[in-house]
Amino acid sequence: MKAPLSMESSALPAHSRKGDSSRVRILVAAGEENDGVVQSLRQWAEDAALHVEGAPDLPRAVRKLTAERWDLVVAVLSQRADEDLAWWVDALRGATGAPRLIAATDNPSMGLVLRAESLGVLDLLTLPLRKDDFLGALARVRSAAVEVPVPLPPVEHHAVGQYALVGQSPTMLEVYKLMARVGPSAATVLIQGESGTGKEVVARAIHLDGPHSAAPFVAVNCAAIPENLLESELFGHEKGAFTGAVTRKIGRFEHAVGGTLFLDEVADMSLALQAKILRAIQEREIERVGGGEPIPVEVRLIAATNRDLKEAIAQGRFREDLYYRLAVVTIRLPTLAERGDDLVRLTAYFVRQFAERYGKRIQAMSDRALDLLRNHAWVGNVRELRNVLERAVIVATGDVLRAEHLPDEFRGEEATLGDRPQGALLTLAELEARHISRVLAHTNGQIGAAAEILGIHRNTLTRKMKEYGL
Amino acid sequence: MSPGRPSPSAAPVPVRVDKALELLPDLEVVAPLRALLVSISRPDERALWSSSGPYLTLGKRGVQPEELARRMPEAFHQVTEHLQVLYRAYVQALEAQQRGDGGEVVAALLRAGHAEERVGRPLQAQSWYEAAQRASQVLQDRRPEVESLGALGQVSLALREYAEGARHFQRSLALAESEFDQAGAIAACEGLGEAALWQGQWSGAQAWFARGLRLAEASGERRFLGRLERQLGVLARRQGDLAAAGEHIRKAREWLEGTAAADEMARVLSAQGHLEAQLRRHAAASAAYREALAWVQRAPRDPGLELSIRLSLAELQLETGRLLEAEEEMRRAEQLAIASNLTSRLVQVYTLMGKLRGRQQDETGFVFFEQAIDLCHMLERSPAAEAQVYLEYGLFQERLHHRDEARAYLERARELFGTVGEMVARERAEEALQKLSA
Repeated sequence: MKAPLSMESSALPAHSRKGDSSRVRILVAAGEENDGVVQSLRQWAEDAALHVEGAPDLPRAVRKLTAERWDLVVAVLSQRADEDLAWWVDALRGATGAPRLIAATDNPSMGLVLRAESLGVLDLLTLPLRKDDFLGALARVRSAAVEVPVPLPPVEHHAVGQYALVGQSPTMLEVYKLMARVGPSAATVLIQGESGTGKEVVARAIHLDGPHSAAPFVAVNCAAIPENLLESELFGHEKGAFTGAVTRKIGRFEHAVGGTLFLDEVADMSLALQAKILRAIQEREIERVGGGEPIPVEVRLIAATNRDLKEAIAQGRFREDLYYRLAVVTIRLPTLAERGDDLVRLTAYFVRQFAERYGKRIQAMSDRALDLLRNHAWVGNVRELRNVLERAVIVATGDVLRAEHLPDEFRGEEATLGDRPQGALLTLAELEARHISRVLAHTNGQIGAAAEILGIHRNTLTRKMKEYGL
Repeated sequence: MSPGRPSPSAAPVPVRVDKALELLPDLEVVAPLRALLVSISRPDERALWSSSGPYLTLGKRGVQPEELARRMPEAFHQVTEHLQVLYRAYVQALEAQQRGDGGEVVAALLRAGHAEERVGRPLQAQSWYEAAQRASQVLQDRRPEVESLGALGQVSLALREYAEGARHFQRSLALAESEFDQAGAIAACEGLGEAALWQGQWSGAQAWFARGLRLAEASGERRFLGRLERQLGVLARRQGDLAAAGEHIRKAREWLEGTAAADEMARVLSAQGHLEAQLRRHAAASAAYREALAWVQRAPRDPGLELSIRLSLAELQLETGRLLEAEEEMRRAEQLAIASNLTSRLVQVYTLMGKLRGRQQDETGFVFFEQAIDLCHMLERSPAAEAQVYLEYGLFQERLHHRDEARAYLERARELFGTVGEMVARERAEEALQKLSA
């Protein structure tokens, strides 16, 4: 059986794309019991201009991968094929020359094929290897269109400390207008937006444009700090107020006096603490934990949340009076998907920023890599984009950021009907299985999040996963 | 505003692990339930990309009661299976007692202890080994006692009770030598060396490992030779003799290459990684750790060993400023610890995550140290582990210029290290305190 897998079209690294005369360096990781695989590839090597070397076990394969540069790794999977596959993808991530992976197994299954696809594996072949299958996979590598470098466009940005506001989309222009209006006042602001849309950057920008920009900007992430510690973090404590209060501690409210206190993920605060925040806003004074003296605090408050606070109020999880105190002005941040071409601007900005940080000379991004970024569903918005690009810059070696530098699941997302050999159209079930697999890869296997994206109940998704062996 | 998509799945909000653990009394009978709860916990999907995502710890993961209920039969099966092993071993000990086979009595009790160690219950294993040792004392053949004392020594080291461990190994060595039990004597020398190493007694450690090596050379047992060369390499590295360390590790590798001891190869490569890191050959260190991980893959499953190597790799990446990769490796280690019921090792993982945040001058990083301390109190109750957290917590506060807090944590670390006899670590705390006062 030839597994109906992805026709991943990644070009090989530049050094092996110097015309037909260049020999593709292939490392074959097959146990001694699969020595036949190495023998077969060696036989085909002359016809296909290949340089083939074998590694009899995994540790020696890893040693060879570290010591030399390879274009392709052919890995024979053991009975624990699923684990092996994940291990190989992980191992190749740090290997010299970013080699691509062809996996071979004597026991293929649809689940394994889809898993390989989601991991960005070039191909999954069945043992014993057939020359046509292998050369077919190789041909796809060689004939893949050479990625065209697109110079990074110049980007104007508004510096906000170590961060920046980047973007010219109409949705962001609306945000800028609102920011310009509230900045000079001392009004309390509520910033709403999905995770990773840049709420803290906007809060910092408002502070810097405000009347007390020279005073401190103090950020507290209410969801990151355990509930039992949040109160003392916000209001401070006296020495000995509780076990672990080894010294007197000044809280974030006091640190922010004269400036801005940014309460991030404010919806995650307990109702008891919400009451204390409300009191601090109303009376402009706080009390340290274990202290009896009220301390005056003159601060501007900016709060942010990725939750629907009105829904939280309806469910009794958020105080309505506090909501109205915080939402004097509300700014809603758009998702990355709502920002159109800002994706390209942000990409250029981040690539330059990280290239400088990591000492790389990246001047351009390939057209294919840009397409992959455009087609990705950015659940984590700008934060996810930033993370992906930082990782890409770290692994990039030349002056162009290519598709191969993006996470494997991005290339998995690329598989389309058009990649299938002629006459091998997908069945509806295969198509569904592929799509589920892609969404699961996107959510890192989180069933709830995947069900939400697919718009089905998680039980239905679980049933389908079982049905398709995912 | 409509954050997120409509939610047709509408699964009930998971219960947070910290809340779930609060509801579970500290009883041994529910320990397997606690382990199951932790192992099936998952990060809150909504938090993954949120600004609190990077601070996610075990306490903030979620658990679905329905899933816990569904997985219970599996847990019951594991518990029953474990109890069967213990009960069977005990019955076998009784049968051996009945037929007057004292050696088998001891062997059966040791089997029970090993079974306890395999499921991460060293204290219970210690009790079985003590019973085995008592039974062995009346036997004419002293080899069972050598074995019992060796097992007691090993478990004491695992519990970081070094003086106690050394005592067991001393007795084991004396008996082994009188019985010409070479394997027992080599193991005892190695144990004594390790106990000395942890207590900072370099010359003692050197003498014990060298003595073990001489015995191993006489026996020609490659595995022992490899292990002792590795231990000597680790010792030489700690003493700063990096050339000697390199030589010992090279020899260890040579001895072990021909054996099927994949776990020992992984340990040697991990030791080599530490040496390369100390020599500031970061690429070579990274390659050694990755090769060690490949050997782990081929060895019988040992998540504890894999976790140690992953943490070493993460620490290396942290030192070289590859913070993104370091964080990814730490998260892998976290997942491994949670899924493999190595919750106590999370203390190390979170301490390292806190250290990472300190490097980023991120004040909120204190949440990792707080979680690590909670775990020390909740799960491990190991003063040495707690001391390690306080030491790093102090250094974290120092980095953020919180001098009073730094001093308080470092003093606590120094005190705890002193009580458990970890003198090398105590010295580190002392040095940090002196630096703070300077």
